[in-house]
Amino acid sequence: MNAPSTLVTALVRKPKGFLEHVFLLSTFAFSLATAWYGVKAIMAALPTSKSSTATTSPSSPPPNKHAEWILKVIKDNVEGQDALDLQHLRRFAKPKFLPPHVIGERDRIKELYSVPRSWDAGPPSLMQDSESPSWEWAASARKRNESRAPTLYLLICPTNVIGVKDLHDLLLLHPPFVSSPDSWSYPLELKEVTVPRLAPTSPEQAAAWSDEYWPTFYRKTNPFGAHPATIEKAETELQEPSTNNVSIEAMMQLAEQAGDATEKLGYGISTGCVIVERVEDQTEIIAVAGDARGKPLPSENGACVSLEDLSLEDLEEDDKGTRKGGGGAFAKKTARKKRKKQGQKLAKLAEEHACTSGNVMCHAVMRAIGMVGRKRLRIASQPISTRAQKAEAGFISAGLAHDEKARDAFFLDLPVNALEQQYFDKDNIKADGYLCLKLEIFLTHEPCIMCSMALVHSRVGRVIFKHRMSETGGLTAEMDSNDSGPVGLGYGLCWRKELNWQFMCWEWTAANRAGSARAGRGKDIDAMNAAHATLGDGRVLRNGHRVNGNTEDIEDDDDLSQEHDIYHDQDEDANSGMNPSLTYVHV
Amino acid sequence: MVFGPIPNREYHEGFMRKAVEMAELALLSDETPVGCVFVHNDEVIGRGINGTNASLNGTRHAEFVALAEIMAKHPASILQDTDLYVTVEPCIMCASALRQYKIRAVYFGCLNDRFGGCGGVMTVHQDRGVDPPYPVYGGLFREEAIMLLRKFYVQENNKAPDPKPKKNRELKTEILPISTPKVATPTVSTPDVEPKLPILERAAAAAATANMKGPAK
Repeated sequence: MNAPSTLVTALVRKPKGFLEHVFLLSTFAFSLATAWYGVKAIMAALPTSKSSTATTSPSSPPPNKHAEWILKVIKDNVEGQDALDLQHLRRFAKPKFLPPHVIGERDRIKELYSVPRSWDAGPPSLMQDSESPSWEWAASARKRNESRAPTLYLLICPTNVIGVKDLHDLLLLHPPFVSSPDSWSYPLELKEVTVPRLAPTSPEQAAAWSDEYWPTFYRKTNPFGAHPATIEKAETELQEPSTNNVSIEAMMQLAEQAGDATEKLGYGISTGCVIVERVEDQTEIIAVAGDARGKPLPSENGACVSLEDLSLEDLEEDDKGTRKGGGGAFAKKTARKKRKKQGQKLAKLAEEHACTSGNVMCHAVMRAIGMVGRKRLRIASQPISTRAQKAEAGFISAGLAHDEKARDAFFLDLPVNALEQQYFDKDNIKADGYLCLKLEIFLTHEPCIMCSMALVHSRVGRVIFKHRMSETGGLTAEMDSNDSGPVGLGYGLCWRKELNWQFMCWEWTAANRAGSARAGRGKDIDAMNAAHATLGDGRVLRNGHRVNGNTEDIEDDDDLSQEHDIYHDQDEDANSGMNPSLTYVHV
Repeated sequence: MVFGPIPNREYHEGFMRKAVEMAELALLSDETPVGCVFVHNDEVIGRGINGTNASLNGTRHAEFVALAEIMAKHPASILQDTDLYVTVEPCIMCASALRQYKIRAVYFGCLNDRFGGCGGVMTVHQDRGVDPPYPVYGGLFREEAIMLLRKFYVQENNKAPDPKPKKNRELKTEILPISTPKVATPTVSTPDVEPKLPILERAAAAAATANMKGPAK
């Protein structure tokens, strides 16, 4: 048995890649307007000399008041100024904390010709203290040098909520910029700067952003996923080798088997879903389902019943009969032929009648979630089942529950083969649980947007998928990569704060399957991806029906009904030639 | 523009009324009061209310229940010429499902600002994707849709892991207007001149409005 560290290598995204992530998600940074104003003038007026206090108007507010007033003016007048969460940025910043390019070059020529200001040109007659042996001029000049630093920079709002011109006009209507005896010492200057749109996820990142854009806080949170410590804990739990813990590898294989099983029946493409419950280190497999989007609906196929029976029972009977009868080559051949013919028929029917992407409701995730509901209903306690019955009664009174068989065929949340049946039949779910609360989902492929949101609605806890689906997937957050162009749709539905549920999600990579014993199954990953890429075009029913592609495997069908070697301590060969790793999916 | 003017609004309100009736039924059976009807060639071919309590399945939304009814009799391809009327904007899951089924258009009452997929939180109906986008029209009987939801949410959800006590909740009745500047009113899109037109022209106008029902090109 392999040590856990070689079984799965935890690989949480490093801050650098993470930054890229953030940038890609939301155009990376946002332009904001900053204003700087003459706080230094007020500060220079406050100190020691009695005469210089006289130069400030008595009605002048204390210096920090101006800052508050300006904030209030913005709050009252600029709609949507706080629409973006920019809590990770300093609102006010001293120049010494700002990157030089944000402040800009000092305009020494302008300073030379600018109007003298209160702090460096008080009326000489008032300045002269009769007792003093020195001229006040000297003191005043010294003060000017000291007073250059205390300028404050204020981050006002994103530039998309108000234009610079409008903002300029607005601020000119309010103190301290509004025309008044003092206003000339508060020149209003606005500037657009680029600041990080999203919070940093490490102190190093915060420091780097502060150096490059704007003073940024790190608040020990991760807005794009679970807290790093929680992720680490979950990863340990997933990988911990104990007799009662299922391995990711084994679950992934089971999901693949489920996908293969429905594909062989001609029902769908080879994708699968396994739902696991973990209670105090004990894991139970709750539901196993394969994709069945290509299974024709009763309405799309007049001869549905016979076809269904054929596919489900007759063929299995045939196989069994063949084996029992000594496995005559002729009988096998007949079974294969029958299967092939049936597959072609199904494909043809589907092509003629079905929606081009098939019955969307029969994606593996939807079916597995449905099975969990069925199981819950089956073992529900009195109050819960009474409530469900009441709701069902409401259906009947509304005339909606008219055809249960058709409904089941549409949702297909009942097992369609021995493998699915085997797990469905076990009453191994905690009684009266809520939906799929905190269950673990293992998927061969990144779920589509519908399925991703179904997982959110079902309150799942953890999702681990194998293949990324850049054209249809709803969990990953990247949209573009620097090297390869589009890599995803950018939904990141596993961790969207605006939705009412978040769950942890990993992409699971088995680095090298070529050397593994199972490579012979014809599962070339590239070929798989190619097949699924066409899926996005809705052409899967035309070229995805590989019903007769695996005829050699027919004899192996019986292992679907056997208990699989899914536990770590029994799973010897599964890890040979592989270096799998988990990559947490941040949004 | 989700709350833009809706051509031939009265026609669509007729079907939205049916959807609201379904939502009222849902409220009676303790389900989230969302109701919908699917309409094909001026005829309701599927009706649905939320079925999450009956099935203990959080994905059994009204749209899916209605789709099950449709597919008992029709092939999935019928949806390409079918419109959906639903009291609350379809969620992200349903929005994606509808797009994959290639629905023609979606009419809804109020936005779903918790997990709406047609403008409330995300815009699954029109984002980049492999399936064709579809047009959405919001605001039909919006106030009624909101009130139905409010009536439901002042109740307690005993099935939640830790139900929140809602004893002190009051049913609010004021409804804020849509913040979008242009809100279509029922009279905007109804041609005033229609009754005065000669019979032939009236037929032409009817044909024109019938064309307008289809998805915006």
